[in-house]
Amino acid sequence: MEYTRFEIARIIGARALQISMGAPILIHVPEDLIDPLDIAMYEFKKGAIPITVKRKAQ
Amino acid sequence: MKMTELSLIWKDKLENVDRLRMNAPVYYAVDFEIKKELELPVYGYITLKGSEANYRVKITEIKKYEPMPGIIKKTTKKLQTLLKIEEVQDIAAIPLSEFRKEDGTYLKRVTKFSYGMIEEEKEIKIKKFREFTPEEKELDENVRKKYGIALPFSVIEKLVKVKEELELNKKEWDKVIDKVVEKYKKRRVDPYEAVGIVAAQSIGEPGTQMTLRTFHYAGVAEMNVTLGLPRLIEIVDARSQPSTPTMEIYLKEGIREDEEKVKEVAKKIESTTIIDVADVITSVADMSLTIVPDSKKMEGRGVKIEDIVDSLSKLKTYKLTVELSEDRIKVRLPEASYKKLYLLGESIKTLTLRGIKGISRAIVRKSRDSSEWVIYTQGSNLGDVLDLEEVDGKRTRTNNIIEIAEVLGIEAARNAIIEEAINTLEQQGLNVDVRHIMLVADTMTYNGVVEAIGRHGIAGEKESVLARAAFEITSKHLLTAGVLGEEDHLRGVAENIIVGQPVTLGTGAVTLIYKGKKR
Repeated sequence: MEYTRFEIARIIGARALQISMGAPILIHVPEDLIDPLDIAMYEFKKGAIPITVKRKAQ
Repeated sequence: MKMTELSLIWKDKLENVDRLRMNAPVYYAVDFEIKKELELPVYGYITLKGSEANYRVKITEIKKYEPMPGIIKKTTKKLQTLLKIEEVQDIAAIPLSEFRKEDGTYLKRVTKFSYGMIEEEKEIKIKKFREFTPEEKELDENVRKKYGIALPFSVIEKLVKVKEELELNKKEWDKVIDKVVEKYKKRRVDPYEAVGIVAAQSIGEPGTQMTLRTFHYAGVAEMNVTLGLPRLIEIVDARSQPSTPTMEIYLKEGIREDEEKVKEVAKKIESTTIIDVADVITSVADMSLTIVPDSKKMEGRGVKIEDIVDSLSKLKTYKLTVELSEDRIKVRLPEASYKKLYLLGESIKTLTLRGIKGISRAIVRKSRDSSEWVIYTQGSNLGDVLDLEEVDGKRTRTNNIIEIAEVLGIEAARNAIIEEAINTLEQQGLNVDVRHIMLVADTMTYNGVVEAIGRHGIAGEKESVLARAAFEITSKHLLTAGVLGEEDHLRGVAENIIVGQPVTLGTGAVTLIYKGKKR
């Protein structure tokens, strides 16, 4: 499934919030990656975020 | 197809035809009785206006009416017969005068129901939407299979055309399709994107650069046309009469090349009233009206003094005595009354001698590529102009959108809105993507009638109370909603903002769920 840009934004946003509140990071990230948002984006790129979207009708 | 056989003709409503078409094959209960024995299957013709057959239906069964589930009823009462309708076909309209009754005479009008035969040699044209050619179909299927998307009809059509024109081989052809699909995907709008807002901004911003003045542009050949922002507002407001209605009338081959013939037609179109060719003098002394024709003006408009006298007989409300003497026409009322004399004077002034109502001027000019003569008019009357034999209806146009909707239908009106808006913007040197304007045109016409954008049109018809209240006249909407006990399902944008919820647009419309680990 291809995500729309809104869905990508939501997923990364939700994950970044979790990370910023202290959630464990799921994959190894480069050490200089500090910002929760950057980490969430990195995770998303690697497909590591365990979040998806529910669409109305498919 | 045996067409000499007796068929049924009845008058029906468009809404019933649509129901039949959607549900066929279906039983249709009608309010007339079929007494004759007919050999099945039999064809039925449906007329909408009573003067021409617009649809043909195939009937495979005729029986007495009895209530049954799943039948379609023509009316609510006095149902007599059940017809089994197999299919409904759109046919090119056949005048009912081409149908013969059993006694050999021809039909005139059908108000309810009649039997009739159609001449054998008469060809019946069934209207059909163009379907894919085999090649186009193949391409369509391949694209679906390979890329998982369906390209629009027009794109498929163009692709096949390009292939033939440029004589592409298989490899090049595949590359082209690849690129087209890529571009197409890129240009698609994501679900839940706020297209309306984007369209509003995209039209609104260039709008600020347009001339704000009610700007009458002195066009070529002494004609005025409203342009710029006033015209754009006019289009969006769906005014029943634009401030400067104009037409461009194109003519059929054989006439359009000859300036004289075209001028002849222009004279026929231009409406001439008495005041255009003569002075009307009211004389209270002997209670009479004197019409003094101006010979120069009459010659220019091609009117004779007899025409004026003839036209006076059109005034049926008065019994007039008309005297013609020395190029003057004296009109007298049977009784002396100042008021009536005044009223008569006014109605004589605006009496049409010839031409088409609403068209005050018609100018003949060379077309832009100067290959033919075109008539440009001030004032518009599409219906009557199209009725003229010399007119090429396919190219003739008007800037009166409502008139187009009435004469040619809602789809034509939609196209007219798009074209008029794009042209107005372009004349000011502004380029707006058509899709924004298409969206506006679609929202204005989806209902089947042309609606304005704004309080009286689209915005005033929103389902949600809060959305309407947020727009204009807040208290009135809230009050009536309270009186009627209206509900609001909070589906739109404005409602959700008022309530303080995320709106169902963009990221606000996404529902997140836990995916679980992939192992």
